[in-house]
Amino acid sequence: MKVSYNWLKEHLDLDLTVEALSVQMLKLGFEVAGHQRLGPAFTGVVVAKVVSREKHPNADKLSVCVVDDGATKWNVVCGAPNVGAGQTVAYARIGAVLPGNFKIEGRKLRGVESQGMICSRSELGLPKDADGIWILDQGPALGADVGSLLGPADDVLEVEITPNRPDCLSHRGLARELAAYLRTELKPLGGGMMESTAASLPVTVEDGKACPFYGARLIAGVTVGESPAWLKTKLEAIGLRPINSVVDVTNYVLHDIGQPLHAFDADQLAGSKIVVRRSKAGEKLLALDHKTYDLPEGLLVIADAKKPVALAGVMGGEETAVTTATKRIILEGAYFNPAEARKSSQKTRLRSDSSYRFERGADPEAPRAAADRAAALILQLAGGSAAKPTEAVAPRQARAPIRADVSAINAILGADFPAQAVKEVLASIGDLNGAGAELSFMAPSWRRDLETANDLAEETGRFLGYDNIPYRMAPIAAKAARLTLIETASRRVRARLTALGLCEAYNYDLLSEKALAACRLSADGQPQVANPLSEDWAVLRSSLLPGLLKNAQYNLGRGADAVRFFELGKTYALRGKAVDEVWRVAGILLGPVLDARWQAARSPRASFYDAKAIIEDLLEKSGAVAWVQLSERSAGRAASDPLFHPINSLRALINNVPIGTVGLLHPRVARAYDLGREDAVVFDADLDGLAGRKTTASRFQEFSALPVSRRDLALVLDKSTPYKDLEAVIRSCRIEALQDILLFDVYEGKNIAADKKSLAIRLTFGRLERTLTDAEVNVAVETIIAALGRKLGASLRG
Amino acid sequence: MEREAPTTRAAWERSCARIESALREAGAAAAEDLPKLEEVRVRFLGRKGELTELLKSLKDLSIEDRRALGPKAQGLKASFEAAVGARRAALEDASDAASLETDALDLTLPAVRAPRGRLHPLTTTLHEIARIFQLMGYSWAEGPFVEDERHNFTALNIPEDHPARDSHDTFYLQDLPLLLRTHTSTVQIRALESSRPPLRVVCPGRVFRHEQLDATHSAVFHQVEGLVVDEGVGFADLKGHLQAFLQQLLGTSTKTRFRPSYFPFTEPSTEVDVQCFFCPGSGCPSCKHTGWIEILGAGVVNPVVLKSVGYDEKKWSGFAFGIGVERVAMLLHGVRDLRDFYTNDLRFLKQFDESLL
Repeated sequence: MKVSYNWLKEHLDLDLTVEALSVQMLKLGFEVAGHQRLGPAFTGVVVAKVVSREKHPNADKLSVCVVDDGATKWNVVCGAPNVGAGQTVAYARIGAVLPGNFKIEGRKLRGVESQGMICSRSELGLPKDADGIWILDQGPALGADVGSLLGPADDVLEVEITPNRPDCLSHRGLARELAAYLRTELKPLGGGMMESTAASLPVTVEDGKACPFYGARLIAGVTVGESPAWLKTKLEAIGLRPINSVVDVTNYVLHDIGQPLHAFDADQLAGSKIVVRRSKAGEKLLALDHKTYDLPEGLLVIADAKKPVALAGVMGGEETAVTTATKRIILEGAYFNPAEARKSSQKTRLRSDSSYRFERGADPEAPRAAADRAAALILQLAGGSAAKPTEAVAPRQARAPIRADVSAINAILGADFPAQAVKEVLASIGDLNGAGAELSFMAPSWRRDLETANDLAEETGRFLGYDNIPYRMAPIAAKAARLTLIETASRRVRARLTALGLCEAYNYDLLSEKALAACRLSADGQPQVANPLSEDWAVLRSSLLPGLLKNAQYNLGRGADAVRFFELGKTYALRGKAVDEVWRVAGILLGPVLDARWQAARSPRASFYDAKAIIEDLLEKSGAVAWVQLSERSAGRAASDPLFHPINSLRALINNVPIGTVGLLHPRVARAYDLGREDAVVFDADLDGLAGRKTTASRFQEFSALPVSRRDLALVLDKSTPYKDLEAVIRSCRIEALQDILLFDVYEGKNIAADKKSLAIRLTFGRLERTLTDAEVNVAVETIIAALGRKLGASLRG
Repeated sequence: MEREAPTTRAAWERSCARIESALREAGAAAAEDLPKLEEVRVRFLGRKGELTELLKSLKDLSIEDRRALGPKAQGLKASFEAAVGARRAALEDASDAASLETDALDLTLPAVRAPRGRLHPLTTTLHEIARIFQLMGYSWAEGPFVEDERHNFTALNIPEDHPARDSHDTFYLQDLPLLLRTHTSTVQIRALESSRPPLRVVCPGRVFRHEQLDATHSAVFHQVEGLVVDEGVGFADLKGHLQAFLQQLLGTSTKTRFRPSYFPFTEPSTEVDVQCFFCPGSGCPSCKHTGWIEILGAGVVNPVVLKSVGYDEKKWSGFAFGIGVERVAMLLHGVRDLRDFYTNDLRFLKQFDESLL
């Protein structure tokens, strides 16, 4: 809210600087977010008369004027075409300072001495009204300071008022708060008006709960014109555009004492009556903002005999607006229920200073006095005669006093404020009764926010100072702090993945259907946002991978040659009327593993097998993992499946439940993200599933201090035999002393038949208690070779 | 040349004298390189070496002869071994000296790095905030991101048509009475519903606001909510806990300022500022020239909230607070545009490490 310091001072005596006032307001909970100084941004500019004007001897566009500032005549070179003898102008003397710290000095212009400058409005930092120099009215004396003609300087503060304090949304409201806090008196409001006994017009309120008070006063015989300078200055100071005297008065009263008012042109009201009712289907309102609003059924409107003329508490209609042609006005002063005003404002997306106050809660007792004050001002500025207002008043529930005691207030604050101090605070805000420590507090009508002992504690705290409440550590029998399962798992996974050299990414949970489609994922079955910011944010994600693919594409496009990302986040799925949220972890690897380009041989690109290692590491200690190709029927299903390469991808299962997937991208997805030639590998795992699994603690296993025996075998097998079969056959030989199988070469090509491949493995044998003899090892190796030959048709490479 | 093992003392002494002169002649100490030195060593001390044989042949002599001649033979061997050893050391030193030069690496070539993983700065910031509260006995609590009106608004004393909803521009789900939570305060309600007091929880997580993205606004961001409920808890405890937290986070000399504010679910409410740590309180762009930086919102739990989840609000009281993780991360790391946290530009992410974890 914009607050004029001059205006504020009309309501209470303040001798604080703006800075000091801001500090006090902050202590009360009102932040001053901005401060603007209004007033002349220049010095040394005086009223002067142009005595003569002649053409400059050396320049076509310049003229040489003689100006009289009342004391002396000066020679001034001027470039404005509209300058002429006889004009009263703003003359910047030598030594004047114009906006932008522009100092006026005597100097020669094209050979002619110029002793100052004749100013335009924009040169003085004032709003421009016409081209050329500023021609003043004849009134002011020559030599008078132009700055002081513009009225007193003012400071305009941008004050942030929290939604619980609508009573402070006016100059008097804020002054009232400050007066209580600073222990000074609020100045009395002037006023009083003459009214005739003439009746205004009939008013019917159909819903007394929605509109407990409606007053309408007829003022006849008005002459609506421009507002006087004092009023325009006030409105302009707080950023309002003056319209006409009647409208300006209603705006003034709103910002002065906080009561929204409205004035209708009485002659435009059909049937000369006012009905406060609910809108009917199909009704429209052409509002003061020149837009037509389709009113949904059931909004509270002010109507004449035919149709709505205002959306109650929000905005009036254009057709019944007061203009300079208006002769008779109806001045409305009413109280509308906050929920009604908010509903109307939200349904029509129409907001105004009026709706802002009504929806936060105006003072229900204020409309009558405020309307009287406005009527008196209208009579003063526009003439006419005021009739007696018609009022429709619904009985209102009386508010109960708040009962609390000082110790309860101190307990809420954790403070030890003396009873006397607490009582003084509360007495400055409302009516305080009660004996001893027992308090009975009646909140004033404008403080709808005060209802409980906690509210009184806040008032006490604000006024006596949050700074004066001690620092204390809650006297709690604390339990040991615990993490959730998912957070424990998240930390383990983050530690593991960063150790494996992956960078953590954060993507938004919302995706476009297009992004899903690029990943071959469907938006069906996904929760969608009813009011997305844009179509890029329409669907809750079913997988983290679309985000990570975008990140990879983004970074490759900006010069990165390797990308190793992971993300922990939620994925979503519709389940009936509910939404399932599942924590997942996903990642992408692409490009050289080592940052060692000058040692190219040591820097292979990330492959499927790198990603496989990552997911194996993640699943370590979570139980026995079964691996199946994604295309196999037994693989189960996961939301991100279509994104993977159907053949070159593996699904990990624990107890037959899918837990994660690792693989290459589906070629179409790779192309969509310009990763066609990047052989990116991705993984995706169920973090909730991992978190739910009990991990086994590491247990020490004894190893032998004795030497082991190693045997290397080069085996030739059918190309189609998977490596895991080789391992399975070796294991099936049940050789107890076999400690390890290490694959150290895979070879196809020269010297190997086209349908064969060569696998080189190293077998390690050993026993805890003794060294093996060569003979024992030889027997074991023979057994293995025989089994491989029998079951896989493998032979030793010759 | 006599190669038979000498079986008599005289023969042995002849052999010995011959070997002694051969040793002198061979000149182990003068061998010109390591292979030559080894050749000499093998000639005399190899398995069939001349000196080895001589020593072996001692066994064929009488005990008296052995006693008389043994030390001489051992002396010969020891001095030969010493000479070989000395020469070997000298030759190795010389060869090392040569290879030190020729094997020189260009030590200024760039280091070869295993890929280095990094946690996102929002993770480290969130963990740091939560860690401090965990030290103060706060357990970790979580709640769903997709919420209902009750947990996000009404149970928190924000009924429909409440103007406080203005600052909670909300994403609603299509065809469902659900929304994306606008604050982690929802977890206050969930924690109160699922456990009994006394209660100390910290609820970090992602929240959503229907706001256009710019340098200081994001439709997705993170908060850390805190909630303490016990008997006799008041505003003073809130001040104590939050000051302790801020001094842990920002340094023990951090000055804090508690000023009145408004949240529907706390009463009294406060916003907490810390003295600007970019300027000594004198004003700079980071603190908008006020000397203070707003860091969190807090308040005494409104009894209406406790009542809405079935607590006896006469017995229990508490305080709650909410911290914007992005805001803290921006302040700690000097990040100026909030969107940088969600772009995942490696040039951004690589500037942060996990040392805060």
